[in-house]
Amino acid sequence: MNKTLNINGKPQEVDADPATPLLWVLRDHLGMTGTKFGCGIAQCGACTVHINGAATRSCQVPLSAVSNGSVKITTIEGLSLDSSHPLQKVWVDANVPQCGYCQSGMLMAAAALLKDKPRPTDAEIDAYVSNICRCGTYVRVRAAIHKAAAMMNGSHHG
Amino acid sequence: MGNADKPVNIGRRRFLVATAATGGGLALGFSTLAAADVADATAVSGATPEFDAWLVISPDNVVTMRVPTPEIGNGAATQLAMTITEELHCDWSRVKLEFASATRDYVEDNVYSKPTGALAFFGGRSTVAGWNSTLLQVGASARERLKAAAAAQWNVPVAEVEASNSVVSHRASKRSLSYGQLADKAVLIKLEQEPALKSRSEWTFLGKATPAKLHLPKVVNGTAQYGIDVRLPGMLYAALMQSPVQDGKLKSYDFDKIKDMPGVHGVAVIEGGEPLQKLPLITQLPREMNGPRTSAVAVVADHYWQARTALAALPVEWEDGDGAKWKTTEQVVAEALALTGKSGGIVQKSLGNAAEVLAKQPKIVEATYTTPYCDHVMMEPLNGTALVTADRVDIWHSTQAPKHAHRVAAEESALPPEKVFVHPTLVGGGFGRRIGADDVRIAVAVARQFPGRPIHTIWSREETTRQGRYRPLLAVRMQAGLDAAGMPQAFIAHEAGRAIDAGQYTDTGSLTSTIGLSDASYTSGIIPNVQVESHTLPIHIRTGPYRGPGYNSNAFFMESFIDECAHAAGIDPLEYRLKLHANWPDPGWTRCLKEAAKQAGWGKKLRKGMAQGIAIGNFGMLGQPKTGTVVCVVATVEVSKKGVLRVDTLDAAFDCGRMMNRDAVRAQMEGGLLFGLNMSLNEMLNIKDGRIVEGNYDQYPMLRIGDMPKIRIHFGGLSDHERYSETGEPPVGPVGPAIANAIFRITGKRIRSTPFRVHDLSWT
Repeated sequence: MNKTLNINGKPQEVDADPATPLLWVLRDHLGMTGTKFGCGIAQCGACTVHINGAATRSCQVPLSAVSNGSVKITTIEGLSLDSSHPLQKVWVDANVPQCGYCQSGMLMAAAALLKDKPRPTDAEIDAYVSNICRCGTYVRVRAAIHKAAAMMNGSHHG
Repeated sequence: MGNADKPVNIGRRRFLVATAATGGGLALGFSTLAAADVADATAVSGATPEFDAWLVISPDNVVTMRVPTPEIGNGAATQLAMTITEELHCDWSRVKLEFASATRDYVEDNVYSKPTGALAFFGGRSTVAGWNSTLLQVGASARERLKAAAAAQWNVPVAEVEASNSVVSHRASKRSLSYGQLADKAVLIKLEQEPALKSRSEWTFLGKATPAKLHLPKVVNGTAQYGIDVRLPGMLYAALMQSPVQDGKLKSYDFDKIKDMPGVHGVAVIEGGEPLQKLPLITQLPREMNGPRTSAVAVVADHYWQARTALAALPVEWEDGDGAKWKTTEQVVAEALALTGKSGGIVQKSLGNAAEVLAKQPKIVEATYTTPYCDHVMMEPLNGTALVTADRVDIWHSTQAPKHAHRVAAEESALPPEKVFVHPTLVGGGFGRRIGADDVRIAVAVARQFPGRPIHTIWSREETTRQGRYRPLLAVRMQAGLDAAGMPQAFIAHEAGRAIDAGQYTDTGSLTSTIGLSDASYTSGIIPNVQVESHTLPIHIRTGPYRGPGYNSNAFFMESFIDECAHAAGIDPLEYRLKLHANWPDPGWTRCLKEAAKQAGWGKKLRKGMAQGIAIGNFGMLGQPKTGTVVCVVATVEVSKKGVLRVDTLDAAFDCGRMMNRDAVRAQMEGGLLFGLNMSLNEMLNIKDGRIVEGNYDQYPMLRIGDMPKIRIHFGGLSDHERYSETGEPPVGPVGPAIANAIFRITGKRIRSTPFRVHDLSWT
């Protein structure tokens, strides 16, 4: 039976078992591969999306929990229309990603953080962005979050 | 195992494989799946008007550069494009990357791999000798042909036209044409002679610009395509399970139990063993890397979740085979340690007469060290997508070595190499794991059983971790004889483990695991009498290159042991290393020691419970001064009385000679230090009944952003020696020993194994 999801502001029809994790609904049924599979047990954060604005590990969310029509899902593909989110700009300018595989999850975690805490402290970043990066981009991730926060506050988006 | 019939294993193969291993220098390569497809399908027949195999300029002024190196995160692909750009004088914002076709390389007489051999299609580095001259010439040649085309059109002397930012102009007549407007004529022009290259001092881009890697715009909006993101019409998904004891066999399975589950199409059974055909060497990476095909079963379904769910429900029995005799990790370690006490190993280095001189010294330092199995745990789990038909194989794959993947896919499908097409995607982390192409073997073996359907096989995280090609477990027994001044006059080491797999079913030998021990500065001329031998542990668990092969264990052994010698001599650890390297003919070592120490404030007063430790190493030197990259780390560390370890700061100085891209080098240093940190603090795989215990990140812990020490990269160690050496692997080595040496100064406990998290560090 088809379910309707609200993804990036648009309704999307899916025919999948209700127990299917949102991660695999996005990737395999809808072809939205920006959300990554890393571990399947909510450890790594590569699959992070926003569910009603909160950063959530989509490998742990069954389709049945998000298909009642009222749940708003945002994925990396919907973070901005044209890569114009300050985090996306800073991420490229500061050469933050290495292989890049974990970075859509990083960006989604960071974006949710900045909504909650427009001027996050280091401790708030530590608590909120617990994603794993094997390449070791953490130094740049932290610096880039602070820089994007400054940009957003400077332009009154914060 | 006598020395006479076991030649010293430091030949060319070792160099090639070792340096090919992992996150080396800098560099690019990005193409969309579609673009790569087109390049593969058409470029062999030369359908696209091109300057040469490397370069196409389209009428819209986009410069497409075909780069053999994949992009594994170190920027190697971007760096090669930057090298072409330096001489081409093109607009960097209009540069597009495609991954060069391994098939074309095969068909057209090594058109891409001629300059650098095995390393051409290797993603580990952009710094391979041969790239610079080749790619600068590609750029210069195309630039001069574009200028000649413009001069002919305007009927002016070539000397009067200039090329800059993708535009050729004639100043006197104020005319200009874009590269895109000139390309169709320029490709027809043959130069009478190749233009001379600019001198390094004339470079305006290389060594100066540090642009974002070319794949990043697609990373940040989710459109970047890794192997696991490949989606093809009619594609089915496979969930994979290999024999839990590597080298075991599938005994039975019961498909009837799952055949009615949603979406299930069938089961693919993969027999372990040799490929369908063996091809002559078409890449210098050995066929046998990562071992023969494993025995496995895969469930194929419409969607991955269905395949995975059905696989979990599939009754499967395995025949474990001989490997199951290894009951525990402790048993393996004990066996390896026992081997270090034997004589008659493979001689990896022999200078002077170590045994005799050692016995005569007034003080002898002796210790044994071990390191455990570690997995790469790159973020993108292993996967591969293959389409096998009667006369063609296509594989879409996140490979670190497309040329090797090409050869393996041909061998596993029994088709001639010209009918095999590898479509490289972005690579979600490599670190050495995606070189040997055991993933390609499996992906083709699964797809072969569903001819005409693209099959996308995914290793779960647990499958990826438990079916690794691991950093080997090593044990070493070291002895040093110190003279009256406390300096070592003789050094003997016996190391045991399974060498890094390069040979399983031929006699081509293995990649030795003594890199960083038998070829370190101390054992290559500093200590006059040296004997380093290796002993093979006959265990079934497969091994492979892991960022800084050999060195990632041996730097810990060597630099901890040198610290023990300094302590025995009563000499400050920094001063001891400076004395040892005083006459070493590579001043980079002393520079790095001094720079790291100065920046870290070596010797400064720290509060109780804090101390600094120092370590230095080099990956890539293979016993030679002024080769490879030196890295010195000073770790500032705190250990509470209860034994809680906190790494406060890592100060690193390095010497890779010269740099092409300062920011890219910095990124590799940052990443390499953190890799070494996680390896030393956290990483360990355990063995139970021949199986790997740990499967996921909850059991194999990784540092997170909040666990980071302060990382300080210092550039004052650079010697400006005329080499551009790799920077991805060298920082991995000295992190662990620098921390362990600091722990000793705080607690009095000498830590002789990793990971540190399992040690009791409490002190009073």
